[in-house]
Amino acid sequence: MKQGTRFWGIWMVLLLVAALLLFHPHAGAAQVTDSGWLITGFIHDKQGTAVQGAQVVLLAKGVAAPLAETVTQPDGRFTLVLVERPSSDLSIAVTREHFKEADLPLDAAASQTLLDSGSLFLPEITLLRRVSLSFWIATLVFVGMLILIALGKLHNTLAALLSATVLFAFSYLGRPISQELYIFDFSGALKYVDWNVIFLVMGMMIIIATVERTGIFQWLAFSAYKLSGGRIWLLMPILMLIASIASAFLDNVTTMLLMTPITIQIALAMDINPLVLLMPAVLASNVAGISTLVGTPTNILIGSYGKISFNNFLTNLTPGVILALLGLILYTEYIYREELRPEQKEGVSNILMKRLAERARITEPAHLMKAGVVGAGMLILFITGEHFHLLPAVTALMGATALLVWIRPNIEEMIEAVDWTTLVFFIALFIVVGAVQEVGLISFIADGISRLIGENLILAVLAVMWLSALLSTVIANIPFTAAMLPVIGYLTATVPGAQSKVLFYSLSVGSAMGGNGSLIGASANMVTSGIAERAGYPITYTQFMKKGLPALFITVTLASLWLILRFIVLHNSGV
Amino acid sequence: MSTDRLKHIVCAVRGRPESRSTVTRAVDLALEHQAHLTFLHVIDAEFLEHATVAPLSVIYAELVEMARFAMLVLCDRAQRRGVKEVDHIVLEGDIRKQLRQFAAETQADLMIMGTPTPGPGKNIFKEEELKQFIHEMEQWGNIRIMQVSATNTASS
Repeated sequence: MKQGTRFWGIWMVLLLVAALLLFHPHAGAAQVTDSGWLITGFIHDKQGTAVQGAQVVLLAKGVAAPLAETVTQPDGRFTLVLVERPSSDLSIAVTREHFKEADLPLDAAASQTLLDSGSLFLPEITLLRRVSLSFWIATLVFVGMLILIALGKLHNTLAALLSATVLFAFSYLGRPISQELYIFDFSGALKYVDWNVIFLVMGMMIIIATVERTGIFQWLAFSAYKLSGGRIWLLMPILMLIASIASAFLDNVTTMLLMTPITIQIALAMDINPLVLLMPAVLASNVAGISTLVGTPTNILIGSYGKISFNNFLTNLTPGVILALLGLILYTEYIYREELRPEQKEGVSNILMKRLAERARITEPAHLMKAGVVGAGMLILFITGEHFHLLPAVTALMGATALLVWIRPNIEEMIEAVDWTTLVFFIALFIVVGAVQEVGLISFIADGISRLIGENLILAVLAVMWLSALLSTVIANIPFTAAMLPVIGYLTATVPGAQSKVLFYSLSVGSAMGGNGSLIGASANMVTSGIAERAGYPITYTQFMKKGLPALFITVTLASLWLILRFIVLHNSGV
Repeated sequence: MSTDRLKHIVCAVRGRPESRSTVTRAVDLALEHQAHLTFLHVIDAEFLEHATVAPLSVIYAELVEMARFAMLVLCDRAQRRGVKEVDHIVLEGDIRKQLRQFAAETQADLMIMGTPTPGPGKNIFKEEELKQFIHEMEQWGNIRIMQVSATNTASS
């Protein structure tokens, strides 16, 4: 009874508060200034991106002190409030680091409107970029980071962290010497960090760490051998399909790390060169990773920036990936035709196969079953989530937490399983890319590409896809993709027909499939080669390129055809 | 090669296709002397330091198993050719250090190793370095070392 009274009491108080808020004279309405004059407007750069933090000052001729001043909001908007009636000879000065100063006199008509109606909405103001000393510093630091990563002189995370630190050092220690050395402050830098990406990657890492301990990858690889009946020409595409499906939902580096040792063992037991099975598998893994939003870090970046859902990737990109995979299977069957030809070998040892079978079993079936249930639930949420604005990062976190609660593993082990170095890499990378965005490098690149491709959508699709593919063979595709996102965002807004986000898909295809062009093009290539070398079968740079570069051309061509068909031909024909 | 009967032969291999002649020579000698044959492999997983994946323990365990399996394949081949006593050892860590330690501690009579090859992939030892290593081992340990090149010319 006492509890019931308390319950109803709380409800009454809440209702009272709600009623007071509802019937309050100012509730739900914007505050209106009934004295004074308002000037509002919107400031953006040449690419249409809102400029935050610009100093906007209203000046009157012959008056030294500004009449009003303010700073632009994150959406680029500003409001100048004048408490005294202004004279008619007014001008607005806009200043912002890394931009040219703008001085905009108000014409007689605008001044009259302000005086008559008490408010004035200015047409959009475009600030032009300025190449300052900080522009060169940020650009050099960014290029230096790419070189350090490409050469492997420093760990990726350390290279990105060092670059971010150098940028902060210039901003904070250099500013007292010269304003030209300032790039951004700490809070400004953090605005460039995409936390959606960080949490999605973290959630998926926990899921992967649980799944990889179950022995599923090893079991799948051995099942492929059994299914093929020892026929290499069949075993190779089955392994490619397994690597593809696993890479579409999990990280392809983990997929290859866990599939490579067992694949090598199968090959050794069959007395064939393991590279005949490994090379096609890793090429397929790089191609198929992009079929879903969570398959590659680059897709996670693209999805978050371009607001592309799990379903969008599935419907717009997966068919193209399947087409590219079919081409890849035919290509690998052709280039390895000699090795795939059945010939009389010593025969597979029963003892060895028995040992492989013992090793390639599901070690934690209960955990695998639970991971399967949670994975299915996550898949449903990934697919349906966009209808109720559920972010993929939240789905991944929900799935990871559900799995942890259900399995109850050693929590310290699981926290260790999260690859914090990668997460720190992402944070530092966002800051470094944010710096080149802040100083205008990305705007200049976007402007240049835009001038080159004009308004031709097909040219834009091909340029983005092939440029990304070729560059991804030599530079790490994650920083490259992160840097390209604002460029693609600008092209999406300006090239007619690109609003379908086809250019984001082109970037996804190029940056992932481009990884097949060279040994250093993708992390999965590096780890596969590392393990293969330990088994005595090194993959050299040239050896990889000979097989990988034609694979790049075949898969990117097929994916290009798909995107042009899907977004241009079918779109124009109204399908 | 001395005509003394060899009781225990160790064949240190990485499992490369170039190692076949080293393995063949070891098997031939084991058959000739009716000796116990041990295949030795050292795992060096230093490259994983650059892999941004976790947990590395799971992957490391897979690498160890892969190495053991590769040695089992060699044991199987040796047994098929008639070697009666054959086993394998898989060591983990820095290859030079592990080989030095093993050579100093083992009771085996002979260790067979491949010579550096010009093929793809890194050789653990450069030619001069290998000579130095053999010299050290023969001075400090009680083991003789035989080099076998990929073209199957043995030297001791």
